[in-house]
Amino acid sequence: MLALLTFLPLAGALLIAFLPKQSESLLRLVALAVTVVTAGLGIALYLDFDPAKLGFQHEFTQPWFSLDGYDAPIPIAFHVGLDGISLLLVALTVVLMPLVVLSAYGHVHERVKEFLVWLLVMETGMLGVFVALDVVLFYFFWEVSLVPLYFLVGIWGGERRIYATIKFFLYTVAGSLVMLVGVLALLWNCGSASLPELFTLVAQRLDPLTQTWIFGAFALAFAIKVPLLPFHTWLADAHTEAPTSGSVLLAGVLLKMGTYGLLRFGIQLFPGVAIDAAPLFLALGAIGIVYGALLALAQQDLKRLIACSSVSHLGFVVLGLFALTGPAMRGALLQMINHGLSTGLLFLLVGMVYERTHTRDLARYGGIAKVMPVFALFFVFTVLSSAGLPGLNGFVGEYLILAGTFQVSPLWAALSVTGVIFGAVYLLMATRRVLFGPITNPENEHLVDLGAREIGLMLPLVALVIWIGVQPNALLSKCAPALERVIERVEGARLASASAAAPAEEIR
Amino acid sequence: MSTQVSTQASAELFQSLSTPEARMALAPLLALAVGVVLHLVCDVVEALKPARALVFVGAIGAGVAAELRVLLGSPPPGLVFDGTFVADRSTALFGLIFLIAALLAWLVSNGYYRENRPFKPEHDALLLTTPVGMMLMVGARDLVVFFVGLELLSLPLYALCAFRRMRAESVEAGIKYFLLGSFSSALFLYGAALLYAATGTLSLGELAGAELGTPLALAGLALIAASLFFKVSVFPFHLWAPDVYQGSPTPVTALMATGTKAAAFGFLIVQLTPLLPLGGRSLVAVLALVTMALGNLGALVQKDLKRMLAYSSVAHAGTLLLLVAAGMGAPDRHGALQAAFFYLGGYLFTAMGAFGLIALLESDGARFTQLDSLRGLSRTRPVIAALLALFLLSLGGIPATAGFLGKWFVFAVLVRQDMLLVAVLGALLSTVALAYYLRVIVTLYMQPALEGHEPPRTNRLSASVVGAVCAAFVLAMGLFPALFLGLLGG
Repeated sequence: MLALLTFLPLAGALLIAFLPKQSESLLRLVALAVTVVTAGLGIALYLDFDPAKLGFQHEFTQPWFSLDGYDAPIPIAFHVGLDGISLLLVALTVVLMPLVVLSAYGHVHERVKEFLVWLLVMETGMLGVFVALDVVLFYFFWEVSLVPLYFLVGIWGGERRIYATIKFFLYTVAGSLVMLVGVLALLWNCGSASLPELFTLVAQRLDPLTQTWIFGAFALAFAIKVPLLPFHTWLADAHTEAPTSGSVLLAGVLLKMGTYGLLRFGIQLFPGVAIDAAPLFLALGAIGIVYGALLALAQQDLKRLIACSSVSHLGFVVLGLFALTGPAMRGALLQMINHGLSTGLLFLLVGMVYERTHTRDLARYGGIAKVMPVFALFFVFTVLSSAGLPGLNGFVGEYLILAGTFQVSPLWAALSVTGVIFGAVYLLMATRRVLFGPITNPENEHLVDLGAREIGLMLPLVALVIWIGVQPNALLSKCAPALERVIERVEGARLASASAAAPAEEIR
Repeated sequence: MSTQVSTQASAELFQSLSTPEARMALAPLLALAVGVVLHLVCDVVEALKPARALVFVGAIGAGVAAELRVLLGSPPPGLVFDGTFVADRSTALFGLIFLIAALLAWLVSNGYYRENRPFKPEHDALLLTTPVGMMLMVGARDLVVFFVGLELLSLPLYALCAFRRMRAESVEAGIKYFLLGSFSSALFLYGAALLYAATGTLSLGELAGAELGTPLALAGLALIAASLFFKVSVFPFHLWAPDVYQGSPTPVTALMATGTKAAAFGFLIVQLTPLLPLGGRSLVAVLALVTMALGNLGALVQKDLKRMLAYSSVAHAGTLLLLVAAGMGAPDRHGALQAAFFYLGGYLFTAMGAFGLIALLESDGARFTQLDSLRGLSRTRPVIAALLALFLLSLGGIPATAGFLGKWFVFAVLVRQDMLLVAVLGALLSTVALAYYLRVIVTLYMQPALEGHEPPRTNRLSASVVGAVCAAFVLAMGLFPALFLGLLGG
């Protein structure tokens, strides 16, 4: 089932590759059908998922190849499965994809066939990353998912697309090649590639120093992907130059691969190291929140502004993850979904207005609300969701994160709260400059308001935003047990290191 | 008296030749040698001329069959001819790599030489000789046997490099390769002589037990290593590669990049590396990293695709040399062999595919090896552009391709030997490599064609077949590695 879900989009991509490229409407229809069916499968999996069960569900294993180990060969398998953490991210991915395909009706008119092929290949890559339970398989999908985005940005992007796409690729690849060394070290030392086995093997077979090194190799790759503070410069370029659908996927799903990695391969796999590294990540997260918000305040380019806001929002996620408390971690996972929905919506909206005005410069907007009232309604709604208005999704996530972090580190929690305020400031300022005031640019006087397709493709996201805002427990109950087990591992490691340290103290 | 001794010796020699193991080990070499002779005969007899292609393919086929017999035979022949030559699973696999390289290079060359068509049969006969030399090199357990193999490979290649004799750059490539190649052969002989002086033997089996720590022996080993480094274009002996690769006819370049490299590295990794002293590891690792850096940085600024691939091949030689460094002192022979086999096998299909498509595009005009002339190729020749992009991604080591797993296995060996710093540096240098592979893809897919520029129209069936076959293998090796890893056995 899970294998089918993962490879269905790839099969769709192959099908499209063999259809004639002139019949664009057929191609789009096929792509839409494939993504809708995938979404149906994904939602079925979501509903079928039983959070009370221990371990991974819908597991599927198919041996792939094997490596020589120290003692016995290490089998590498196509091993996939779902737990509460990956379930939500899979659901987010499959829900966003049909909307992305729909949005492409508006902004992709050239080389439609290639575009759809890459889009579907990317879906397989992203789903693979979230469901992989084999470290090698995870790495495989992790790198494969780079290629489609490289083409999406490089072919259909804005003016500086080639610079942006190569920068994006090289940044991420540099990180992931270091991760490759980490993956290999993990394999040799533990003699297994299977994630459920590694959870027990890591503590048994690796000394703390090796754990730290491997954690570092993984964390570097994830930090670049998220992106955490010193590595964030690729994001603004890639986001700005990407076509709308690329931006939506980049913000909605790809960045989550980084935070998912930090949670799964950082905290869950190396709880001991995560405890030691937590202060660093808390600091980077909190500084990222404020710095991203300040960057966003200074932007003149609407898309760049949202890209910078992503840095800020993902800072919240990292903060929540490394607070290592139950509420904060639940908030972080929820915030991953929220950011996917809200920022996805924002990029969709910016794409829609860009298709009409062909500018992203804030100074060339103004008074759009007068000519596009429906657009203005959606825009304000999305901005409020992104800024964390109570009753909408963003509030729940940010509240849980801040509350959970405050228990651990009041200082960083307090600093992060200022990020919330700055967030409201830049978002509302952008809203004012885009929507309200007099129409300063005469070209904007005759803009056409949103059509049925555009409204239709946003409605599911709007519904989800409200649903999560009102009923966050529906989602949280699915993932809470899995996160609880992560916390248990962390607490276990904390106890172990405390009991190891205690005798040493006595001797002294 | 002396006659008697020599009769006795030749009788012994005959006996050692005619054991079943020896026949089995010799069969692939004989198949090709007979093929070369038949090919030349067919060229002289008017009535037999149409049979030349059949002879070529038949000889390769017979060679493949003979290698498969060695590969699947249990037990494989092992050491034969008084311990001077070895035929086992690993040499058989390398033999298959050489045979496939020769066959694919031949397919690429069909229809490639427009101005020199009358001499094509000689070209083919020379081409068919090269795998004989390569097989001798990989199977050599004696330095003299290796030298014979090396010359048997090099002499045809000198002629092949200069085969487009009307073009200055081809002749230049031939002369350059010849002069520097002779120099490296001389280095090899000198090194072998010093080793002999130090230890009194040239047999690798006996050298393994001999004291190699003396200055004389070390000097000999260093000279031999230098001559091999020249063949595989490792720093500081890499400078010839870009000129020769660019100037040579593309099918010959493809053969050099895949076959010659596999032969020299095959000997290095299978036979010589276990002899090298562990103390030299850091030196070799540094040479490897410098080679990777120079190859990648050099490729970064190239405007000609063939020259860029030449530099990229230097960088790949650097990666393989990392494997040599990890294998020194023979700590993990199986892992190193597996990595070498997978890397070189993957590189065979990847580089051959890329050069094959370049040969197809250039259609005997150097015009279409310029990067700019390939702009917008994805619009005019979508299939060629897609395959070329696949090969470039494989060269860059992106998953789902053979190149990824090749790199994976090399790094796996490094990490296993606890050479973590080297592995990380190597990984970062591979990132640089992606920069120029991606730039070619940008040219193919993301830039419009130049104004008033005719895209290449050429179409040749046999080169297209090479592209398709290579792509199939690149993907198969990348997705189903178990199929290929099983060949090497446990």
